[in-house]
Amino acid sequence: MTTSWNETEQIETYLNGFNDNGEALIFEAKTLLDPSLQDKIYWQQKTYELIQRYGRKQLKQEIEAIHQQLFTKPEHSGFRQKIRLLFTNR
Amino acid sequence: MDHNSISDQLSAKREELFITVYKKAFPVVARYISRRGGSFDEAKDVFHDALIVYYEKPASAVLNNDMAYLVGITKHLWIKRYSENAQNIPLDKVEIGLGDEENHPSTHRLMRFLENAGKKCMELLTGFYYDQLPLADIAAKFGYSGVRSATVQKYKCLEKVRETIKEKALTYDDFME
Repeated sequence: MTTSWNETEQIETYLNGFNDNGEALIFEAKTLLDPSLQDKIYWQQKTYELIQRYGRKQLKQEIEAIHQQLFTKPEHSGFRQKIRLLFTNR
Repeated sequence: MDHNSISDQLSAKREELFITVYKKAFPVVARYISRRGGSFDEAKDVFHDALIVYYEKPASAVLNNDMAYLVGITKHLWIKRYSENAQNIPLDKVEIGLGDEENHPSTHRLMRFLENAGKKCMELLTGFYYDQLPLADIAAKFGYSGVRSATVQKYKCLEKVRETIKEKALTYDDFME
């Protein structure tokens, strides 16, 4: 019996195009017989897109936090000065 | 060692890397932009986006020392957005692939929902697919006994989020067209 996470793994392999020809054919035959599998493939693709957006959003916040550290903490005052000078003496 | 301190170590190391990259590259791009009449806020804006582009390049996912590349993206983004010559850049050079992620209201709602209801799964999945962390690091960070159980958990999370998105999509009519 195929457990559900196994099927999720198979969908991932299929979407990545890593199946060998035989495996890909068998999987495609399965999707024809099982409309719910087509549905899962579609939503799994959407899930990867969402993870990408989610990751990017987290990264943006992380970079902003680093920026705040560099422009407020005392140990980075030398760096701060260097940048300020670039935008004041001109 | 419990997984919380491993997790703390990993994020401290990551933060240190970001700070090093920031301190090396930002002065270079800030000088370039200030000499051309740009402001501090412009420099910050394009530099942050360039860091994202840089981070998402497969080969530099671990933040290697490819400063020239990072500086190059920042200059390019600034010219495209702010310089007086912005209109003269050929169209094919303009698109760098950083769209506004908040454009779809329903996507925004879904992200908010997942941030609350599925945070642990989203962090695991982001660590694996977006940050491309080694599985052993993911296992340590999230407290799984090993690579195998982290892998199983990854697929279970994928399935859970997939079903959530599907269910929510039926109630948000403008979802991810």
